[in-house]
Amino acid sequence: MRENLLDLCSLAPLVSLQRVGKRFGGFVALRGIDCEIEGRAIGLLGPNGAGKTTLMRVLLGLLAPDDGVATVLGIDVVRHPEQVRARIGYAMEGPDRIGGLSGLESVAYAGELCGLRRRAAVLRAHEILDLVGLDDARMRPVEEYSTGMHQRVKLAMALVHDPELLLLDEPTSGLDPESREDLLDLIARLRDGVGPAVILSTHLLHDVERTCDHVVIMHEGTVRFCGPKAALQAESGTQFDVRGDGELAGFTQALAQAGATVGPGRHPESVVVTLAAGHDVRTIWWAADVGHLRLFHLEPRALSLEEAFLAAVRSDVDAAGARP
Amino acid sequence: MKDELSAIGYRRLPTPRTTRWSPWPIARTALVLAFRRRAAKLAAAVCGFVVFAHALTLAGQVLIGRASERGSFGDDFAFTMLEYVTGQVHGTLSTFLGVQLHTTAILLGVVAGGLIAEDRRTRAFELYFSRPLSTLDYALGKGLVALLLPTVTVFVPFFGLWLLAVGIAPDDLATELWQLLLPGLLGAAICTVLLATTILGASALGDRGRTVGVAYVLALAALGGFADAMAHAGHAWAGYFGPLRDVQTIADALLRGGAPGLLAATLDVRAATNDSAWLSGLALAVMATGGLAALTIQLRRAVRG
Repeated sequence: MRENLLDLCSLAPLVSLQRVGKRFGGFVALRGIDCEIEGRAIGLLGPNGAGKTTLMRVLLGLLAPDDGVATVLGIDVVRHPEQVRARIGYAMEGPDRIGGLSGLESVAYAGELCGLRRRAAVLRAHEILDLVGLDDARMRPVEEYSTGMHQRVKLAMALVHDPELLLLDEPTSGLDPESREDLLDLIARLRDGVGPAVILSTHLLHDVERTCDHVVIMHEGTVRFCGPKAALQAESGTQFDVRGDGELAGFTQALAQAGATVGPGRHPESVVVTLAAGHDVRTIWWAADVGHLRLFHLEPRALSLEEAFLAAVRSDVDAAGARP
Repeated sequence: MKDELSAIGYRRLPTPRTTRWSPWPIARTALVLAFRRRAAKLAAAVCGFVVFAHALTLAGQVLIGRASERGSFGDDFAFTMLEYVTGQVHGTLSTFLGVQLHTTAILLGVVAGGLIAEDRRTRAFELYFSRPLSTLDYALGKGLVALLLPTVTVFVPFFGLWLLAVGIAPDDLATELWQLLLPGLLGAAICTVLLATTILGASALGDRGRTVGVAYVLALAALGGFADAMAHAGHAWAGYFGPLRDVQTIADALLRGGAPGLLAATLDVRAATNDSAWLSGLALAVMATGGLAALTIQLRRAVRG
């Protein structure tokens, strides 16, 4: 039955947002967001103040949107927030804890609050703490934990009740590089196994590159992109490593007219041309012709996630194609 | 036998899952955490001692009454003097409510001061409200702790003391005490509700358990001191600001007063009373409502925030 439910869930989007807006007084935190989030591991990217945490709180049913409809796993978050929270796990940013409890007690308590019986919650807590790699320290009070151990406990608290969707808010914040890689490995294992789908909210592109197959990019309360990571990199433009004989000025000017940008390349004599969406290699040939540049090297190269992210954030249109 | 290393994978839980009543784990965890502290155990011991002392006093009073009936004292004067010193059963039961309000307030300050304040300090609200838990479930869970403690230290012991008195009292006194059961339990219930609502309100306003606990006890003492001083100076209206005076007034009215005895007066364990039990009741209702209002407003802010 679980597999049938998973099949059904795999048909419906994880999250569906229809013109979702949220204001705090005069400040607009979310502006008419319209998108469907799908996939096994989704990176929710955006600079500070983009609206990521507000969106997460809306998805948890803690904040009611002022406009629009938001559903998680097919459930309306305003009408049935508790049903939504029963099926999702949330690990928030920051040193939140229930004071005085050990790691094991915290995770078991979280399980009980989600409906597990006491004994089942304790057994499940041990299991999940084994999974996240918290060994003997689980019996110590969480006040004595390092940041990395704390993050593991929070992840365990989010997983203990076997959610279908996991929301992680800056999970690697404050971690040393080794702990960060361990945590990202764990997220990748959950993604590849029978674990829940993951939405990873972060401003660290490396984390998303490492673990996610889909991305949602937010900026100033709007969604600038929502879809597979590969599509973002393709859509944000194509890059070519270019070398030629002649004056670059005319070539560069012609490319600028076509909406492309030119930057330094790997080779001292080469430049990297980033074409705008909708343009292809013929634009480069045209610009070379106009600028009297004789091309002798033209090599396509993939846009990095950082470059694609910056291109999306700087774009004038949001994911629905409207100007924000 | 060959050792086998198994990968620790993620296991899915069987479905369907039953929904359980969430407030109970919240209350149980809060109580377990609180009673890990030595101060909580000490405060509980003091409450227990108060019950024991009143039980002894009650037993003494009843036995003196029985002895007087049998003519053990020879003349009425000796019995009257003894009764003057030890007091009457009604007075002792009424005094118990007032005294135990004091000690239970200290116990609540230690155990329940951090119920909500510590959750604010450690940002545990986000942990709670990211679960399938409503604000009401959370409030009920914390409220259970705040109600359970005075129930165990005031309501149940009052009934126990009454049972003890009725069990060993002579027939005429026992008949009289039977009529005082419901009013007495009502007085105990008023104590319980007052303590529970005010500590919840105080904890909801604070952000550190220890600070809330100390402030709560000091506030009760300060209000009581202010009320006593002003009432003594002729401003009877100020007497209604003292929760202990209000509780004692209601307890005396419900349990038909009675002389508490020279012993209680010497130990100064008994609060002075106000003129009107109804006004005292109103004052207590306002305090309880204030506590609940503070709890409601702060929880709504915490969920939105």
